[in-house]
Parts: sequence; structure tokens; C-alpha cells
Amino acid sequence: MSSRRRRAPGGVTYDDVTGTLRERTLTALRDPGLAANLRSAGTAWAEQREVMDRDYGFNEMRDRARDIRRANIRALPALLTQLQHRVRENGGTVVRAADAAEACRYIVGLARARGVGMVAKSKSMATEEIKLNDALEDAGLEVVETDLGEWILQLAHEHPTHIIAPAIHLNKEEVAALFRAESNGDVPDDREGLVAHARMRLREKFAQAEMGISGVNLAVAATGTVCIVENEGNIRLVTSQPRIHVAVMGMERVVADWDEAAHILQVLPMAAIGYDAANYVNLISGPRREGEADGPEEFHLVIVDGGRGALRGSEFEEALSCIRCGACLYSCPMWRNVGGQTYGSPYSGPIGAVITPLLEGPSSPGSRDLPFMSSVCGACGDACPVGIPLQDLLVKARARSRSPATTKAGWAFRLWSLLWRRGLTYRLTIVGWRLGLRIRGRGGWVHRLPGPGRAWTSVRDLPSRWPPRR
Amino acid sequence: MSALADQMAASLGRRKATWEMADPDGAGRAGARWMADAGVVRAVLADDPLVERVGLAAALRAVGIDVLWWPVALGRREILGLEGPGDVCGVTVPALAVAERGTLVLEASPGHGRGIDVTSRHHVALLPADRIVGTLGEALARTYAAGRPTPSAVSLVSGPSRSSDIEKISTLGAHGSLTEHVVIIR
Amino acid sequence: MRPGILVHTMAGAPAGPTPGLALDGGGSDGRAPTTAVGGGVEAGSGGGRHPAPLLDSTAMRVLLMRTCLSDAIAPKVWKATRRALERAGVEVRVPRGQTCCGQPAWNSGHPGQARAVARHTIKVFAGTEEVVVPSGSCSAMVVHSYPDLFRGEPDEADARDLAARTVEFTQFLARHDLDPRAKPCGAVTVHDSCHMLRALGDGTSARAALDRVPGLEVREMANTDQCCGFGGTFALNYPELSARLGDQKAHDAVNSGAPEVVACDLGCLMHIAGRAHRTGTALRARHIAEVLGS
Repeated sequence: MSSRRRRAPGGVTYDDVTGTLRERTLTALRDPGLAANLRSAGTAWAEQREVMDRDYGFNEMRDRARDIRRANIRALPALLTQLQHRVRENGGTVVRAADAAEACRYIVGLARARGVGMVAKSKSMATEEIKLNDALEDAGLEVVETDLGEWILQLAHEHPTHIIAPAIHLNKEEVAALFRAESNGDVPDDREGLVAHARMRLREKFAQAEMGISGVNLAVAATGTVCIVENEGNIRLVTSQPRIHVAVMGMERVVADWDEAAHILQVLPMAAIGYDAANYVNLISGPRREGEADGPEEFHLVIVDGGRGALRGSEFEEALSCIRCGACLYSCPMWRNVGGQTYGSPYSGPIGAVITPLLEGPSSPGSRDLPFMSSVCGACGDACPVGIPLQDLLVKARARSRSPATTKAGWAFRLWSLLWRRGLTYRLTIVGWRLGLRIRGRGGWVHRLPGPGRAWTSVRDLPSRWPPRR
Repeated sequence: MSALADQMAASLGRRKATWEMADPDGAGRAGARWMADAGVVRAVLADDPLVERVGLAAALRAVGIDVLWWPVALGRREILGLEGPGDVCGVTVPALAVAERGTLVLEASPGHGRGIDVTSRHHVALLPADRIVGTLGEALARTYAAGRPTPSAVSLVSGPSRSSDIEKISTLGAHGSLTEHVVIIR
Repeated sequence: MRPGILVHTMAGAPAGPTPGLALDGGGSDGRAPTTAVGGGVEAGSGGGRHPAPLLDSTAMRVLLMRTCLSDAIAPKVWKATRRALERAGVEVRVPRGQTCCGQPAWNSGHPGQARAVARHTIKVFAGTEEVVVPSGSCSAMVVHSYPDLFRGEPDEADARDLAARTVEFTQFLARHDLDPRAKPCGAVTVHDSCHMLRALGDGTSARAALDRVPGLEVREMANTDQCCGFGGTFALNYPELSARLGDQKAHDAVNSGAPEVVACDLGCLMHIAGRAHRTGTALRARHIAEVLGS
């Protein structure tokens, strides 16, 4: 199975993604079905969230979730040390990887050393971030995504569109065509039939895979346990059938104890899909024990820094609280219209626009524009179950961006600031502007503006009288 | 305690699981009857004293269902249902259950595999009513109580496997079991 | 009339000689500067050339922030704001030399440039009075972002002081239970600007003020909490995406059945109206102050 992801050296963003962010936005806007699909997903999510608030007081649960995560990040070094000790006591191996390359090198080396030929994967943002599939495939291993949505995307050679719901932009006919091409045989047309077909095809893979790779939603420092949340059951198979289980986690995903874990594990599905529990939560504390007949013989926990450590103590520290629920995506009017693939990075939506440039560096061509594709409307911050002020972080991320566009705008704002820090020069610019408005807008409207104003009139008129004429 | 059992039953209904209440001496027959109706031909039983106590194995044999005890001496392909009969039912004994969410807490142990419920097409859980607690917080506090050795794996199961990855519509039986039936034992 | 509030009887200033083109002092409505009160401010009562009224110590006095968008696009908006406030019995002064709150630069990631302009604004609005702003967006900038913008700066205390005194126009009316006694008006629909709704957390003050307008009926549109797509420089950086959101908003507004959309923010309105005009959608737009100060 060939990879759909190509590696950018050291970067988080996908490098098979073409065009500028603006161009990708235009492409997405031209897709007639996309926005309708995404918007209905967003609306359904919002309705379910209200049910959660009514039935469980979800909005109050968020305050505690925020406090827990803030405290976790403050205590991060101690929690990680404790986690590391406990996992080792449980018979597992812990690896701290400074970056993607280190993490991939370890996992590929492990697979080679154990003679692994096939890897069964479950959906994981961390492995997407470190581009693990490319590294494994380059080493000659077969990698199978076992989450239904991710498998569909693997067959379609596409990137996911949402953290939780990767393939919601495809309809069932498109899915059936992909399944037919994969199996060279008859595939049912109905949804139940498609799901049953995928179940059996993927069981063939589970029967062969020697290594299972999963992500981690939360790790509990007190007991050295990783928590992995799912609805399908593939993660349980990934973590119980193959001989080796490798769990990959971003270093910030740790809580202190089970009291905290219980709270976050309840908040996560409510925030993510507006549902009061995920079907399966797998709480794994190391490899199989003496006398146990299933479960992996080896358990490896790979903890990736990848630029996260440097965010502690910075103005972006709150972004480390994120539990990757995807709520900010569903809430975002931009995401609802252009989808996750437009962002060109594993993390899309508001949280992706904040953290991708942080992880990649302010000059990265693939991510430095991301914070600007937002009206900073604040719907994301409202939706966030752990109270990350995403709209504020977006503005701060803009200040940090080193894109040519920002530099250019910087000069304009320097001039602006010189003129508008004094009453007299301000009034001169206003009088000049209003004079221009009167000349250009005789019919009550300006249809074309020069200079930076051209972007305004490229899609809308500017009223030269107020209230605007009809 | 009966209030918690009622709440558990209501929550299971919300999760598209089925349930019935049974006395200890009727629970084995109840489970066997449900499996026979579901067309089950083979049952994989967790090696738990409770399964023996409620007489499930005998009841299953009486209705002609093949009985295997965990750990099963089968290859991985057969465990996954790629070989042998397809209509297999995994039988688990939850350590605890959460009434508020309809969640079963399954702990791995030598007699109880990590994957019994998800490798099979059907899942029957034998749940003593006195193991039902109110919230997930209570359940996890007990599961991971100080001084108690942490199980190698704990699975929280809240209803049969489902996926909404195709057209956002929830469809059952994605990877795990298509059904979940809980016999609550008074 | 409420006790303790200075009553102005000369409400309803006549428009200036060349609307929007005057190079003037505190306001751009062509009035001669009046006696300065509190240093460089114009007393904004009525429409006559007369000294500022002697101020009763119990009178409610406010400073009005005109906002740069109102200066540039719709001076009627700040004038209507003043009129509404005065009719409600508030003494309004429009500080001379005011420019902009600095938000365009701040939101675009140029805090240094924003600070230079904001520093000027802090000086212009020095005093103890509440500062009323006919914009949820500019209010949010001062109230929420100034403390951030001036953190660790020598004038941080002044920035925080201004932030504490600044209030959006309809919030001010609600806070003091004021009625501007607007003229009757028909049906309107309300657009909640994001800064008003989320940054200031206020989805009620505008509606409460409109409720007092005789004959006015608010017809709520769908998706009131969704952004219209203006977003300041976002409208210039991603015009097509911005336009898509504007279309959705105009569509929801039209479907409300009201012929006119009102909002507390001029930016949203000129975007929605400008896009509606481009696409031939029949929708009128007015700032809420124009309704209340009518």
C-alpha cells in the first residue's frame, strides 16, 4: 500500500500539499458538496453539545477540565518522570524523543530488530505529526490504517479532514469505489455492507501484523497507564493482537492520577462528538503479564517533544492543555467552509493554526500563513473544553509569523501608526479618504478600490454613503 | 442497589446494548437462551468462577452451543473469526459497571483476555448487580485503588462497536462486537 | 426624567455643511470648537455655538469614542450615538484629537504599531468618565486587549484604567437603564458581532435597547452566533472565504423576514451590506445607534 503522505524534513506540514493557503482555500470553496457536508456535521455537533450540557452540565465540567490541564502542564517534567518510572515498573519501555526524526528512528529500528513485516495502526495525531508511516514504508514495511475512516483515506491517498472524523468529506458511493479497487471483488453498496466488508478485510491484516502502533489520548502518571479512546474497537485489536505494541504520545498528554483521568475521559467524548461516552476506552499498563494469553509481549511508549517543551512558560503555554477533541474545528466557520485538508497539516482548524507554526517555526512556508486564515471570531475559544483562549493565541501567532505577507503588512502598519498616533495627521488621512470616497463613489457605492483596497472590492462593494443605498 | 441496576439498564438501552435481569440460578440459562436466539454456535467464556456458578457452560451445551474456555487453543485467524464459525460470542465478567453511562469495566487477567469481547461477533456480559457503581470516577478510583496491583489492561466498554466514518451515520459492528447483551444478576 | 441626570433639550444636531468632508476639531460635523472642559474636549450638547453647560456634579457625563470606521465611512453613526445618549439625559463630550483604538494592527500581529496608536488614545481619553463606544469591536480591544498590549509597559496602569472605564454603547444604556426615546421603527433583524457576543459576552444589550423602540419588532435570524466573515484584515487577506461567510449571513438575515439588519459594529455591516449589494441581495443595513438616535 503506497503512502499518501510525503515527508518534509523536520516539518509537521505535509509536503505533497500544493499551492498557497489562499489557493487551497479557493479550491475548497469551489467544491459544492464540501461545505454542505462540513456544515451539517458542525451543526449536528453543536446540537449534541447542547444535549450534553442539559443532561450532564457539560459547561460546568469544562472549568474543572481546564484547571486539571493547566496544573498538568505546570507540573509536566515531574509527571513525565513519574510516568516513565511507572511504565518501566509495569514492564514497558519508555523512549523520550526530542523530535520526529528520533521517534521514527526508534520505531523503525525496533521493527527491523524484531523482523516485523506488517504494522497495524490506529488513528493517531502524534504519528501523523511525526510522519511515521513514511518512515516505516521507506524501511520496507507494510502499514495498514485500521480506523475505518483512516483506512478509507489511505485507499484514497488523502489526508484527513478532521481530528476525530477523518473522512467525513466522502460519500458512500466514493467509499464503495475505493473498496472495490482494493479488493478486486464485489463490494456491497449499503453502509452496513461496507462496514462489514472493511471489518473482514482489516481482520486479515490483524491476523498478520506483528506490530501494533497506537496514539495516546492521556497517560496517567500515577500508574503508568495510557488511555486510548475509540468507538470502533480497532484500537483494542491493535493493542492486543500483535506481538509488539508501540504507543506514541505528545509529551503534554499526561495527567496526574485517576481522579483527573476520569474527569478528562468524560469530557473528551462530550466535547468531541457530543456523546456521553466513547464505546471503548482502553487503559493499558504495560505488556501482558505472567499467565495472560493475549496482549503484546512488548510495550513501548514513545514520548515526543517535537517543540512542545519550549512552549512551557511562553505566551503559548495554554495550547499545551489541548486534548485533541476537535471541537474547535467543528465550531470554526472557516473550517466549516474549507475543511481540514485545506490547512495542509495534520492539525487543522484553530488549534492547528496556532500549534503548527509553533512546532514548525515562524518562517515555515507550510504553516506561517495559517493564523491569518481566521476572522478571530472566538467560536473556537468558546467551544474548547479546556478553556484555551484560541482567539487570543491566534492573534499572538500572527505577531510571531515571519511570512513575507506579514512583513509587507508590517511596513503599511508602520506608516499607519505614524499617521494615526496624532490627531492632525489622522484627520488629514480621514479627509483625504472621504474625498476619494466621494469622487469614486458617486452612485453611493465604490466598485473598485486601488492598492490594498482592491482585495475589498474584489468581492464586495464599499458604501460611500451611510446608511448604504439599496 | 436496585436503583443503580435500573439506571444501568436504562443507560445500556441508550447505548444500543440489550439487557435482562436474572437470579443467580437463572442467569446461565438466560445467557444461553439469548445466544441461541442470536444464532450463536460457539461461546468463548472468561475463566471466572461466576461463569461456573451460574451454570452457563451446562446451559449452553444443553442448547447445542460449542463451549470454549479462555485461554482458547486456537490460532489468531480463528480467534479473529477468519476461520471456523463466524457466529461466536465472547462471554465476559465485568469487574465493575458504571450506571450513569452504561459502561462495563473489563479487567485483563489470566482467565480474562484483553480481546474476548471485540474478537467475537457477539458479546454477553454477566454482571452481578452489586458491582454497579454510580460514576466513572468511582469505578476508576476502585479499579486503581492505592495498593491494588494495576491490571495490565482495563477496557471500558459502552455499547457495541460502531463507526460514523461513512456519511456520519452511526453503523454497528465496525471492528468489535455487533451486539452487546448484559445479564444483570440480582 | 431620571433624577441626577443633566437634561439636554437641544437634541438633534443639524448636519454639518459638507457631511463627512469637514476638517474640524473634535467632531467632523463642522461645529466650531466650544469651551474646553477637562482639557481639549468639545462639549457635545445640542447643536449651537455656546459654551459647555456648567456641569452639575451629579450629572452623568461620558466621553464618546467616535471610532475610526465611523469617521471614515459613516460619521452619522457617532453623531447618532451622541444624539441617543443626550436624549437619554447624558452629558456627552467628544474628546478632540482622537484617532483609533489600534485594533487593526493588533489583530494583524503588529502589537508595536498598535501600542503607539493606543497610547495616543489613552492620553486623549484621560479622565474619570466612562468612555462610550458605538462598536463592540473597539470596546473589546480596549477592555480586553489593552491590558495585554500594555503588560509591563510604563503606562500599563493608565491602559487598565481606560479599559475599566470603557463600555460599548448599548451596554452603557443597559448598565444605566437609559432610554434614548427613539422614533418608531419597523422590523429589523439583529446581527451579533463576534466581539460583542463573545469577547464582551453580551447577546442581550442590543436587543434590550431595541425593545424600547416603539413599533420595532426584532425578527431573529438563524445562526445568530456565526461570524459574518468580516474579521478586519481577514476580509482583505481571504476575500473569497470572507465573502462566503458574508453570503451566509446575508442569506440568514433576509430569511428572517426583516428588511433591515442592525448591529453594534460598523465593520460587520459594511461587509454584509457591501457583499449583499455586489450579489444583488435586497438587504438594508444600519448601525444600532442610527435606530436609537433617530
